[in-house]
Amino acid sequence: MTEEEEIKKQTLEILESRSRERGKLIPILQDIQAKFGYLPREAMLETANFLDIPESEVYSVATFYNQFRFVPPGKHQVKACLGTACQIKGGRIIIEAWQRELGIKVGETTTDREFGLERVACVGCCAMAPVTVVDEQVEGKVSPTRVKGILLAFDLAKQKTSKKVKKAKSS
Amino acid sequence: MKESAVKSPQETFERIQERALAEWDALSNSPKPRITIGTATCGRAAGALEVLKTFKEELAEKRVDAIITEVGCMGHCYAEPLVVITKPGLPPICYGYVTPGIAARLISDYILGNDPCPEFALGALEENELIPTIFDQPRFQYEKRILLARCGDIDPEDINQYIANGGYAALLKALGMAPQDIIEDITRSGLRGRGGAGFPTGDKWQICRDAPGTARYVICNADEGDPGAFMDRAILESDPHSVIEGMIIAGYAVGAAKGYIYVRIEYPLAVARVDTALRQSAELGLLGDDIMGHGFGFEIEVMRGSGAFVCGEETALIASLEGRRGWPWHRPPFPATEGLKNQPTLINNVKTLASVPPIIDRGAEWFANIGTPASKGTAVFALAGKVLNTGLIEIPMGTTLRKLIFEVGGGIPNGRKFKAVQIGGPSGGCLPESLLDLPIDFDSLTEAGAMMGSGGMVILDEDNCMVDTARYFLDFTRKESCGKCTFCRLGTAQMLDILEDITRGEGNPGDIALLEELAADIKGGALCGLGKTAPNPILTTLRYFHEEYEAHIAEKRCPAKVCPELTAFYILPVKCERSCDACVGSCPVEAIFSGKKGIKVIDQEKCVKCGSCVDACPPQYSAVIRISPVSELPPSEPRPPDKNGKD
Amino acid sequence: MEKIKLTIDGVPIRAKQGEKVLFAALDAGIYIPNLCAISGVRPHAGCRLCFVEIEGRPQPVTACTEEVAEGAIVHTDGPRIRRLQRTALELLLASHPIECKTCPANKHCELQNIASFLKVNLNTKRFRKKLRDLPVDDSHPDIILDPNMCVVCSKCIWACVEQRGIGALNYAFRGDRTIISAFGGDRLVDTRCDGCGLCAEVCPVGAISKNVKKST
Repeated sequence: MTEEEEIKKQTLEILESRSRERGKLIPILQDIQAKFGYLPREAMLETANFLDIPESEVYSVATFYNQFRFVPPGKHQVKACLGTACQIKGGRIIIEAWQRELGIKVGETTTDREFGLERVACVGCCAMAPVTVVDEQVEGKVSPTRVKGILLAFDLAKQKTSKKVKKAKSS
Repeated sequence: MKESAVKSPQETFERIQERALAEWDALSNSPKPRITIGTATCGRAAGALEVLKTFKEELAEKRVDAIITEVGCMGHCYAEPLVVITKPGLPPICYGYVTPGIAARLISDYILGNDPCPEFALGALEENELIPTIFDQPRFQYEKRILLARCGDIDPEDINQYIANGGYAALLKALGMAPQDIIEDITRSGLRGRGGAGFPTGDKWQICRDAPGTARYVICNADEGDPGAFMDRAILESDPHSVIEGMIIAGYAVGAAKGYIYVRIEYPLAVARVDTALRQSAELGLLGDDIMGHGFGFEIEVMRGSGAFVCGEETALIASLEGRRGWPWHRPPFPATEGLKNQPTLINNVKTLASVPPIIDRGAEWFANIGTPASKGTAVFALAGKVLNTGLIEIPMGTTLRKLIFEVGGGIPNGRKFKAVQIGGPSGGCLPESLLDLPIDFDSLTEAGAMMGSGGMVILDEDNCMVDTARYFLDFTRKESCGKCTFCRLGTAQMLDILEDITRGEGNPGDIALLEELAADIKGGALCGLGKTAPNPILTTLRYFHEEYEAHIAEKRCPAKVCPELTAFYILPVKCERSCDACVGSCPVEAIFSGKKGIKVIDQEKCVKCGSCVDACPPQYSAVIRISPVSELPPSEPRPPDKNGKD
Repeated sequence: MEKIKLTIDGVPIRAKQGEKVLFAALDAGIYIPNLCAISGVRPHAGCRLCFVEIEGRPQPVTACTEEVAEGAIVHTDGPRIRRLQRTALELLLASHPIECKTCPANKHCELQNIASFLKVNLNTKRFRKKLRDLPVDDSHPDIILDPNMCVVCSKCIWACVEQRGIGALNYAFRGDRTIISAFGGDRLVDTRCDGCGLCAEVCPVGAISKNVKKST
């Protein structure tokens, strides 16, 4: 099965349990993104077909909301918070540090698809500002040095697993 | 589990309540030690789940029989993770900043031993002779907890704990009243909408009830989008039934059979806890087609908002709920007459709905006696920023900003000076020291150019630049503008451009006048409430901190030394301890090198102005300073070419 | 049906109940600048150009959202009205390429008309020029879509979705990135567009035009 067919099949599985109410478009898109990590083109087309609305309308709604992505996210998603509390405690410096260290801008993914960088408006942990959420882990009181530290930890973990893989292969 | 329909609502509820009270009594009077941990989002960010895990593991390992309860937010976010330990016969003691290490100590020393470890305690929760109570802190003199009364006290995932603490009694009472009488109670209580604008709640309910329609809806607006606000999240995570109960009463009063809770997708824990709460209410017959056998039916559905600040605006929220772009419509028609599916729709904020059960329960007069003549009841604020006691706070309306910030909030940390308080998020404004004696109520704040908003309050100190703060909010509104109307779509972008120029030192003398003109026109001309209030951060900073704008434009100077283009970092040679390398190691871009005699020098070309070196320089030297304007930077020695780019 | 009597700029006017002030005025030959209003459709109220003052109301209001009311006294001119209208127009012009000579809408462009009515120079320098550099879609044999010209009035979408029931086009994104787009940013030729050209007819500027070169 091609990737497109696979996406189509999995989308149909999501749609199966849904009613064909126009009002349910957003929850459906949320389910699709939960499944794939983004909104694949095929999945949006299937949704339009399912709800019997023009595909441009699905695209219109999806592009309006911050939540929806149209390219696959990085393996690790870095969400730097820029709520008010984070802003006044130097959140911009932390975003700059992430951009510098990852070599990408906000909204982009590293070429190896390891990291994606997002800016979020407030994760509600204002007492811990500045905050960055890496995958689901909330990191409080982040500094530029800590940004380096977090990335180093990922690097080490990756080396470890690749060594393990090598060992497993050689043994 | 549904109670038989032949019983009266009174009998049905009594049976439910009896069971809940029995469970609660068993818990309170248990001979086992009881450990309560706050695991709302802020607690989790501080490591509450690891602390919880330690307690569970240690108790199992040491074979101690104790009860662990997860509760919501206790309000003291600054001291998270928070743990309360109750030993039979002893007062409950609240511990703050708990780590897995402290958790282990508390088990060995207090639960197994007799040492209550006062060094980790914030205070006891009851009068006693052992430890001072937490209520001796100044904040409790001013706090009045109505909406937050149960938060941090009960397990939000156990409906019986809510019922045992007075929950759903107001619903029973309301079902025995005529809907019109409920609306009159709400009107007499003086309750005004807690979402920001402060529209009288009773009037809104009346309009909705009187509007012709084939169906009616109640929507709980939990799309708390203001950056820096987390009150609604905390209430939904800590006491979800209070909101649900308020919604059912509202539904009964206006004649609606269906309700929606529209909650941000960024709040996964709130969504999960609301889902659990809804399931439990339905199981007990407190939600459903025939509530407590009364005949009134009401159901509630949760909709997760996909991330659009504008959906906090009620017409945009409805568009989103209908599966469309969150574009606001011109009002009138107001949703109360023509809302969801063109039917009369009541939209209230989380805190407004949570205020309903106590009003019904304790009477309109009781509520009307709290607060000021025009703003009744309490206000819940999320206090954050440069303040000691960050967290959730509930105070009677009319309390002054000064009391809230300095008494309840404990003032500004690190000996810094207060500069401004930002209230109401991107629609609100920044108020200066001179307005701190202003009472907190809807009208005073609006008159000062800010607004109550939904309750975010961020404190700024002398190290914050007001132009940069205005720029930050405009950057937010520009990104969050829905794009429907010309003023907000293009006007905010223009204002942001001007502010960016000013913070970069590229401002022109005419910029302030242009900002003022444009701000006034956006305020008068934008389509929706969010567009109309988007200029508020600019208007208030221009009004109260005009000289900071002037300094940026005329002198290329940032008085707070924040704006990167106008600020340089410099190491004072006389203060630098030559053999210390702290700053060198802290610099993320290797901009600091050792110059002659080992004195550290910043390579201005490489410096990204992150300030890490200021934090890293040991306080006894304090050699790194910020300089603005950049033209005042003393000449430094050049970087030796051989060391450039090394290591 | 009972007619409503009101006065606009001193002229007594009779309009049918439920009619909006904007269309009552236009029908009576009194011009009020507007870009996004469509008669009989729930007002989009996005362009913010049709401000009028109604006696007894503290602030200017948009004529497209205001229903005619018995005895209402409406003014379409005045300093407060003109200030809001000029600012809105200048914001639009600052984000619009002024290349009238090569523009397909030249001489029948609403921005030109309104600028001349409000006495605003098309090359106004009050605000910063903020143009977008989006690709022009001339893939379709009948229609050319130049999103850089778009003023987000919504008329083309009403034409394509509501009038024709096709839905080849819709809005995409939001804020100052809002554009008119086909699904996924696809070329129009790859959509269900049947080239009816209604969108080009209703477009008040040169954002959507008939593909003259290819169709001749």
